[in-house]
Amino acid sequence: MQDVLNAATLGSIYLLFALGMALVWGTIGILNFAHGATFMFSAFIGHLVTQRVELPMLVIVAIAVAVGAAMSALTQLLAFQPILRRAKSQHAAEMRILIGGIGIAAIPLAIAQRETRSSPFGFQSTYSAEVMEIFGLRITTTGMIIVLCGLGIGIGLTVWLRQSRRGLALRAIGVDPETTAGMGVNRPALAFGTMAVAGGLAGLAGALLTFQLGAIAPETGDQLLIKAFAIIVLGGLGSMAGTVLGAYILAGAESFVLEMNWGTWVDAVSFGLIFLILLVRPQGLLGRKEVRRT
Amino acid sequence: MISAWTRKSLLAGLATATALGMAACGGGATGSGDGGIADTITIAQVQDQTGAVAYAGVGAKEGAELAIEEINEQGFLGDGVTIELEEYDTAGEIERASSEMNKAMADQNVSAILGPTQSQQAATVAPLVERMKVPTVFTQAGAEGVVINDWTFRATPPMETYYEPVLDQLEAEGAKDIAILYNATFPTFALLGEDDIPAMTEERGMDIVQSLPVQMTTQDFASQAQQIADEDPDALIMLLIAPQSVTALGQLEDAGYDGAIRATSVQAAGNISEAGDDANGLIYPVPYSTAMDTESSVAFTEAFRKKFDKEPNPYNADGYDAMWWIARAIEASGDSSREGIREGLVQIAEEGYDGAMGEVTFEGNDARVEGVLVEWQNGKERLVE
Repeated sequence: MQDVLNAATLGSIYLLFALGMALVWGTIGILNFAHGATFMFSAFIGHLVTQRVELPMLVIVAIAVAVGAAMSALTQLLAFQPILRRAKSQHAAEMRILIGGIGIAAIPLAIAQRETRSSPFGFQSTYSAEVMEIFGLRITTTGMIIVLCGLGIGIGLTVWLRQSRRGLALRAIGVDPETTAGMGVNRPALAFGTMAVAGGLAGLAGALLTFQLGAIAPETGDQLLIKAFAIIVLGGLGSMAGTVLGAYILAGAESFVLEMNWGTWVDAVSFGLIFLILLVRPQGLLGRKEVRRT
Repeated sequence: MISAWTRKSLLAGLATATALGMAACGGGATGSGDGGIADTITIAQVQDQTGAVAYAGVGAKEGAELAIEEINEQGFLGDGVTIELEEYDTAGEIERASSEMNKAMADQNVSAILGPTQSQQAATVAPLVERMKVPTVFTQAGAEGVVINDWTFRATPPMETYYEPVLDQLEAEGAKDIAILYNATFPTFALLGEDDIPAMTEERGMDIVQSLPVQMTTQDFASQAQQIADEDPDALIMLLIAPQSVTALGQLEDAGYDGAIRATSVQAAGNISEAGDDANGLIYPVPYSTAMDTESSVAFTEAFRKKFDKEPNPYNADGYDAMWWIARAIEASGDSSREGIREGLVQIAEEGYDGAMGEVTFEGNDARVEGVLVEWQNGKERLVE
């Protein structure tokens, strides 16, 4: 059971990171490769602030969320939106957005690497994690917060996208952006807001993961980016519920490999499993066939 | 991605072709081996200044700068003779290391090179330096396949050569059951975790009760920490890169493991400080520490503090010793050409020297030091007797 709980915590870590990326990719069609850098840089700003003054966890999380939202909104405003404006169609802009995201990600990464010399960085906080024992199972308070946040936000986003009018508009953009714009949906405004929310989620993930892991490195976001990419494809693009499921499946597979002490096979087995699932269901576990992205 | 890779390969190929072409055309004074010491001697530092392990390259640069300042101020190589450092950033990429090395080697003003700190980069360029006949002193780059010919030298002793004291100390403490948690995709740790430490434990009658490999991309150690806590070995040998070790220490504590933990010099240079109290009591061997009390180490520590107003680390010591080794080599051979420096490096390696890392001896072109064990306690290292 302890292994299941560890896998649930790991899955929630992946989920928190993947949620923002899944939201923008599955709705406004932007595969944001700067998401990892936003995640890392939000935590890095938190680190810089707490080097000067020790802060409570909530304040650090708030700073990271604000930085993440601002970074992501600026990315949309200064990079992705101009690319979309110049492109003949969303489809034509996709490759340019992807490359643009990689280019933007390089800037905060270079800054953080330069400032830290790529050494790990964390927070000076008044918060310190406690270990709780529930029915003989051990979990830290940070782990518990991550599980609750991951599941809560994942389920909340799923419900919101399905039941709210804005959620419907966002899903419509994901299916056919040109027609949706023609039907009166303010696509640039929605895209801006969605990117800001996704950035906020990246900031939240950055802060909580830094608390959970003790420290992260400037490159940590890049490593998580690949896993998030796989999770979204596995779950099915456009399906937040699929992202939730994909995160826990990947974490479960990794935990199983580690439990068997095949540590160096983690990526090979986990991504091999995803590949096999996608052979059977190319649209992902909960994805719809008609929603197609590169 | 394919096109980017192709472009890089083409650039690297062009750089190689240019370098080979220039070498074939004869070259300048540095390559001629005519003898004598030039007024200005250029040493290229081809190491990571950015990227994931930039701390090693940047650290070596600071150490080298201090050494150059001392060499030039003392007139160590003669009146008016100065050494200059020229930087080339390998940015943590193997293909970039190859192309930057080719650029440096093609520059006939470059007399010697401080080679890449990452083993994969170093092993890639090691055959090139023999082809181009440029003496190259590597710092760090502890894996096999780096010091492989007459033109390759290493100023940092490989980790396994000074790891024995860790096992000696554990034996003295009565530890019998040992667990190993290691990054199997990091060549130095793979060698240490799979070959050297098992051999060292066997010699001492200890048992390896767990051997847990992880990848470079592993970020969460809850599963491994739980397995270790359940096994409860007398000691854990943790061979992880800097951010991994911070996480692993916290999660081992959370999982309830309270046995001894031994690590590596990667945890030095303050890399473990973010672990806070979880790192207290962590013991690891280092080739250099500010806590060392040998005369040459103390002199380096004080000089570094004075110049940079901060504490030196093992990477600073690497660069310092490597640059002084080159300077001594030039003085010994009386020749600042590439061939002259190579001959001098061999001569100095036979004699050994006292440097930041204390008494440095050599096996062939490869440095050896006794190293010291240090314990991390409340943000500082202290020597373990």
